[in-house]
Amino acid sequence: MDRRTVIKNLALIIGGAALLPACSQDKAKSKVALKNIDITADQEQLIGDVAETIIPKTTTPGAKDLLLHLFVLKMVDDCYKKDDQQVFVTGMGHFADQSQKLYSKTFDQLDTKTREAFLLDIEKEGKAEEEAARKNSDKKDAAPATPPAGKYSPELKKFYSIVKRQTINGYTNSKYFMTKEVVYELVPGRYNAHFPYKQKQAV
Amino acid sequence: MANLNIDSVKERTFDAIVIGSGMSGGWAAKEFADKGLKTLILERGRDVKHIKDYPTTNMYPWEFEHRGELPMAVQEANPIVNRCYAFGESAAHFFVKDAEHPYIQDKPFDWIRGYQVGGKSLLWARQTQRWSDFDFEGPARDGFAVDWPIRYKDIAPWYSYVEKFAGISGNRDGIPELPDGEFLPAFPLNTVEEYFSKHVKNNYKNRYVISARCAHLSTPNQIHLDQGRVQCQRRTICERGCPFGGYFSANATTIPWALKSGHATLRPFSVVESIIYDDKLGKATGVRVIDTNTKEAIDYYAKVIFVNAAALNTNLILLNSKSHRFPNGLGNDSGVLGKYVAFHNYSAHIGAEYDGAKEWTTDGRNPAGGGYIPRFRNVYKQETDFLRGYASGFGAYRSPQRSWDGVGSSLKDNLANKELGPWHVGSHMMGETIPKESNFVSLDDKQKDAWGVPLLKMNIDYDDNDEKMKKDYVEQLTEMFTSAGFTNIKASTDKRAPGLDIHEMGGARMGNDPKTSILNKWNQVHSVKNVFVTDGASMTSTSCQNPSLTYMAFTARAADYAMSEMKKGNLS
Repeated sequence: MDRRTVIKNLALIIGGAALLPACSQDKAKSKVALKNIDITADQEQLIGDVAETIIPKTTTPGAKDLLLHLFVLKMVDDCYKKDDQQVFVTGMGHFADQSQKLYSKTFDQLDTKTREAFLLDIEKEGKAEEEAARKNSDKKDAAPATPPAGKYSPELKKFYSIVKRQTINGYTNSKYFMTKEVVYELVPGRYNAHFPYKQKQAV
Repeated sequence: MANLNIDSVKERTFDAIVIGSGMSGGWAAKEFADKGLKTLILERGRDVKHIKDYPTTNMYPWEFEHRGELPMAVQEANPIVNRCYAFGESAAHFFVKDAEHPYIQDKPFDWIRGYQVGGKSLLWARQTQRWSDFDFEGPARDGFAVDWPIRYKDIAPWYSYVEKFAGISGNRDGIPELPDGEFLPAFPLNTVEEYFSKHVKNNYKNRYVISARCAHLSTPNQIHLDQGRVQCQRRTICERGCPFGGYFSANATTIPWALKSGHATLRPFSVVESIIYDDKLGKATGVRVIDTNTKEAIDYYAKVIFVNAAALNTNLILLNSKSHRFPNGLGNDSGVLGKYVAFHNYSAHIGAEYDGAKEWTTDGRNPAGGGYIPRFRNVYKQETDFLRGYASGFGAYRSPQRSWDGVGSSLKDNLANKELGPWHVGSHMMGETIPKESNFVSLDDKQKDAWGVPLLKMNIDYDDNDEKMKKDYVEQLTEMFTSAGFTNIKASTDKRAPGLDIHEMGGARMGNDPKTSILNKWNQVHSVKNVFVTDGASMTSTSCQNPSLTYMAFTARAADYAMSEMKKGNLS
């Protein structure tokens, strides 16, 4: 097995362990033991595929390598309100349904390009609505406009925005990112108040 | 207590008892122990040993289970303390949780507390600006509260004394309303902070933007090395506790110093229920402690008692110390105990951008936080329709613009972008509030806590003066930002309750007249000469400077006075 497969399998094992009932003796269980939401192995797989589309493996690690989908679940389980958790689970169902409806395939059966197009389309609709709401709130006398019924349910958009937010949160706060991409210094030992900077430097 | 023999009483008898081990209590303990007094330090919470008990101090962001965020269950169970900016996954263990120590909010009050050795000195924002005669003469000039019984010259040498030991970084700016001190080198202003400083200096009379003075060892002196502290490493994760002792905390500084002397005893888990007053002797003889583990009541005795329980808990202890002589609380002949509580108004902010200085940024981190704008309103004369004024924080920073748009490899590139965006600037208001009789704390006559101590009731609120001042802050800072060429200026105000500033003061104020104050000019209870209050409770007015440095100076001064009075036999 190549490294990716190993990590992928490991993620599945760890992830799956969380879904087993309390009688399970699995050592890895605590890693993503969920207290508040009920997630099936298929759903976890789906979140993994969405997260991997957001942060794919390139020449550098992707979401699954970094177990970001498990982090997403951990955060939803621990750091969101009950209402949001319910919306998340409902929205996840809508997301799976929508994949079938639009593409006649499950999300994992889609190729990368289609997956990306799907997610970008959700993002686009969410942004358009936010923009409309902002414009509307600027107009004092305007009656609160009912957002036009879009392709995607509010729950689906909320589900997606939580997965995206927490995938990015997990990614930018990962050991990989903070040691290899944008280095975090625990002990800077210095403060230089006037540090020369050249715009448009090579990234 | 009947079974306690004379030896046991002897074991429980000290020269000095200090109630509280935080910002000011640590100083009292250090001063007494240094001079050989047998000193008992009482702390209601657990011990927090320097370095050893800072569990998160060396953790990387990815090592926190929720990357710094607190679980929703914790947030929902703690609506009050959760409003404090430092209450996160890295420091939550140093904060009192709402349900642990209830109090009664007749009016909303966010009471932020740290019940452990070191108290809130572990958690503070470390800003240390001296007060001046523009502050100490304020109540007399502007006709509020009562006249301070001291002036700047009385406290100035004690500021120097505590600054040298604590280690304060700053520049000698020569500004009368913000006197210079004994400074270690300042943390410099960055390019845009410096630009704004020059702009303000050139365009406004008596307005200044200076490097914030702070309790960090920019470059330590021998006295700091002797304390086992080393240079501040510019980590700016101070609320976790600093293994370098880079900033002043009682844990890193005064408490270990006091204990090292061999004359001090630290007793954690000790809630002070009351101060024991002997009607026949006409003085306090000791304190009654409830051991929080065993719930046992134990009396400790001493010649002198320093009350440093943090402002409102000091009020609580005094109010709960009832005797035949003082039926309404210790030293409360005047009836003002618990009243004239005030705080700082932090409810306005402003942010903007600066489209210049693109060839500059910063490297590393600034523990001082940036700049400080001393009060410029109503300093030399009354000039507005509100009393007093505000200081302002000011800072400028640049960070990479990292778009979250899109998905896939382009998103990965965006997130790793190192190209910096424009400079952002920001300021927050720190307003003086006026102590009033109607802003008070009192004891509930029915409800008690787990240790049998009555619950404290809060009746503290903003007033019209605060609203006018807030409006002025927004107007003035907007004007200053505009004239400096800052763009996209956005001011915001919030409806926070008093308390979130964590600068509550007063209730046992100092004054010349025993009829209108609790303490004299030595922080000594007018009518109980062997009891001193040197924490925030003693403040007659609030100034707009951060108060901790002033508590330290008052404490060292009062301890020195108490010891000289003891020598003269005046306290026995």
